[in-house]
Amino acid sequence: MGSGRFLLGKALQAVLTLFFILTFNFFLFRVITDDPVKLLTRTQGVELSEEQQQQLKEDLGLLKPLPQQFVGYLGDTLRGDLGISTFVAPGESVTSLLSGTLPKTLILVGTSTIASVTLGLVLGIYGGWKRGRALDMSSMTGSLVLYSMPEFVLGILLLLLFTKYLHLFPSGGYKSVQGNFTGVAYVVDVLNHMVLPWITLTLAYIGEYYLVMRSSLLDVLGEDYITLARAKGIREKFVLRRHAVRNALLPSVTLIALSFGFILGGAITVELVFSYPGLGKLSFDALNQFDYPVLQGIFLVFSVAVLIANLAADLLYGYLDPRVRTSR
Amino acid sequence: MKGLRRAVAGVAVAGVIAGLVLSSSALAQDASPTPDEEIVFVAGTTNDMRTVNPLRAFEAPEFEVMDLNYDLLISYSKDDLAAVPSLATEWAQSEDGLTWEINLRDDVTWHDGEPFTANDVVYTYNLIAENELSGVNYLPFTDSIEVVGDYTFTWTTTEPTTAPLTPPYIYILPEHIWGEMDLAEVKKFKNYPNMIGTGPFQLTEWEKGQSWTMEANPDYWGGAPKIDKYIVRKYDNEEAMVTALREGEIDYIGDLSIDLFESLEGVEGITTNVGPETAFAQMSFPQCVPDSPDADVDCTSTTGHPALYDHDVRLAIVYAINKQEIVNRVLQGYGSVGTTVIPPYNRWRVEPAELIEYDPAEANRILDEAGYVDTNSDGVRNMPGGGDELNFRFYLRSESQESTTAGEFIAGWLQDIGITTEIKSVTDSKLTDLYIANDFDLYIWGWGVEPDPDFQLSTYTTRECGFWSDTCYANPEYDALYEQQQIASSIEERAAIIDEMQQIIYDDIPETVLYNYNSLEAYDSAEWTGLEENLSPKPQGFLWQQYGRHTALTVVPLALAGPSTNPVGDTGISAGVWLGLIGAIALIVVIVALVRRGRSEEDLA
Repeated sequence: MGSGRFLLGKALQAVLTLFFILTFNFFLFRVITDDPVKLLTRTQGVELSEEQQQQLKEDLGLLKPLPQQFVGYLGDTLRGDLGISTFVAPGESVTSLLSGTLPKTLILVGTSTIASVTLGLVLGIYGGWKRGRALDMSSMTGSLVLYSMPEFVLGILLLLLFTKYLHLFPSGGYKSVQGNFTGVAYVVDVLNHMVLPWITLTLAYIGEYYLVMRSSLLDVLGEDYITLARAKGIREKFVLRRHAVRNALLPSVTLIALSFGFILGGAITVELVFSYPGLGKLSFDALNQFDYPVLQGIFLVFSVAVLIANLAADLLYGYLDPRVRTSR
Repeated sequence: MKGLRRAVAGVAVAGVIAGLVLSSSALAQDASPTPDEEIVFVAGTTNDMRTVNPLRAFEAPEFEVMDLNYDLLISYSKDDLAAVPSLATEWAQSEDGLTWEINLRDDVTWHDGEPFTANDVVYTYNLIAENELSGVNYLPFTDSIEVVGDYTFTWTTTEPTTAPLTPPYIYILPEHIWGEMDLAEVKKFKNYPNMIGTGPFQLTEWEKGQSWTMEANPDYWGGAPKIDKYIVRKYDNEEAMVTALREGEIDYIGDLSIDLFESLEGVEGITTNVGPETAFAQMSFPQCVPDSPDADVDCTSTTGHPALYDHDVRLAIVYAINKQEIVNRVLQGYGSVGTTVIPPYNRWRVEPAELIEYDPAEANRILDEAGYVDTNSDGVRNMPGGGDELNFRFYLRSESQESTTAGEFIAGWLQDIGITTEIKSVTDSKLTDLYIANDFDLYIWGWGVEPDPDFQLSTYTTRECGFWSDTCYANPEYDALYEQQQIASSIEERAAIIDEMQQIIYDDIPETVLYNYNSLEAYDSAEWTGLEENLSPKPQGFLWQQYGRHTALTVVPLALAGPSTNPVGDTGISAGVWLGLIGAIALIVVIVALVRRGRSEEDLA
């Protein structure tokens, strides 16, 4: 028994899921595109004779039987070769395209997720604890408004407010196109461009964590063992911290883990509002232009991220709630 | 003990932040404009650039970059777009009309310092003519193109032609770079970095999907541009782009949508310009008749609705469309009713002999007479004899608000004459696939037309089916006229033929031009001059993306005498960062305080 087997089981499960993802990703794009060579010739504007097309198919390994193609795909993917972009950046390798955009998304969406999780949880705990107080009521209303507002609407409102009327932040992009900054000035310039999308994403998601945390804390506070703890004379603060919050955190952990998985999916609408060149914008462009290799790469990164986040959540669950480890 | 460690950590964090703030403020001051600051003109666009290989390019920003990076042999005059010397200084046609002798400038160098000679021109033209690459229509009836001297070459044709005066829209490429590659390599060539041309600018930086920078060529044979750099910045959000123009982050926007254009009118420091009507939007009908006798065209897999092969149905549809209403309500007046396939700014345009005007009663009469009546009383007309209903798949471009709205109006008018449509909104890429496969009933798209209409007219020839042809229109009479206009001996003769060709398309209706529209531009006139003064062509011209790129050479900051008074965009660090930093510090302080307080109480418990 014990955590060793628990860990092993989870890891095995993840590997199986990964295999399923790879399989699905392979066949999905075989189903969507009937003739990749035709697609390639269209997007590259090259007219090819029959023999050249046949040659190209052979070069791309499209004449081999499907199982053999699949094995080749698995090998390429594991080696980090995700193919060549056909349209978004013709001729560039998908791997380099992804590694160029990934950090930008990670910084923007990653830090804003951490911020909204932190703020959401803190406000949620406070709201559940001091239900009905002024701060609870105002953060409740605020959360509902922000949570129900589409994030791109919030983005455009902030853009108009801060850029058009207050003249504070640049209108988009991730750095200035002129004045080649280096060192600290470069960092500051990049941060300056990131402020608005960052605030948008943070505000847009606080509500989600706030509401979940608040309601699960309220549930827990009604439990008998809380009453018992109080009866034992434990100070309220420690009732909250050691008994209530720890148990109430479980639903939030799932939510947080999922959100971290989705970080790599980027924030399509917000990235578009602010022309921020992250993964969300890349997937939008790739989808718009039928750049299947790029899409395939994004799908893979995205699903693997969700997979890892889920695995992390499972493990964290095991730590937070020992029952999970030993059940089964 | 613990407390001490935390205190030290706190001091360290505070120190790092203070250092960051101080150093960035120092750098921010460095970044503010000084008298030797580069002069940079920044344009915004929502259209991306994908390739700068002239053989593969088709998007407007790609042509803009190539226009500045390369030269044409013969260029366009500022006022009326007539042919004027560029790399070619003079040209003469032989007595029999079959040979053109063309002299070139002898003082031109490529961006990499190599001298430019006749070999480069001959290489480029032969590359395109021999391999029938993009641009081959400018080199009709080519027999041979040969070098005569260092700065002279001849172009011999099998038929007399005035085509060299079109002028050929072919960028002259350096043989010492392109000549090293075989055809397959040439077609795949990325052409960046080191995009070598002879033009006034050179593409030096390109962040895909974000921005591209062109640096001025100080040795340009036509005189160095007055700006040091031209940068194009790509936006995904037009609203943000317009805000950037108001804020002075960017200096120019072309191709504005109507609402945003109007929002900029009357804004202090911004000058708007209603440019010429160089483009049109058309609604196309399938013309690839499945049992077409033409051997060149394979129409077996076409899926067009059979009713649309009938001229009567197409004519009735044109009668049913209220084009003036589209101009008034969709274009809000920034355009005109579409008629022939050459737009109004063009001197080759002719108005149709007899205008088909909005008349739904006439549309109904034509359909009734031709036997398209509603046989099953469901409000929709059927094929003669009670066959399929007149229900058409109608593809609209998700990338163009105007054409989508126009399409919705049209769907309503067609309903009025008993024709239903299924509107499908698709991306341009998808629509390209559909029209090339002849897999549509109706769609709306458009064309921007060059000063010389040769290319536009070529798109209606039979051999363009599967390539540039919107509809696979096939008309031998039209094809013959197309060749005749290429060998016309005089402008007048050519004009007469082109008039006839426009009339044929108007009468046959393979497509109907819905509207011509103005190009809408705006620029930061508080900072720049040299644009409005050099509008081209006259009288209603472009501010920036012109044939002959006049303003790219003349644009200059208002305060050229002292560029120090001319802030170059947003080089400084905005107050936003300070706000952000202060917020971050406050957040850290609060968190540290909370943690410390919590911990200390816990220690006590």
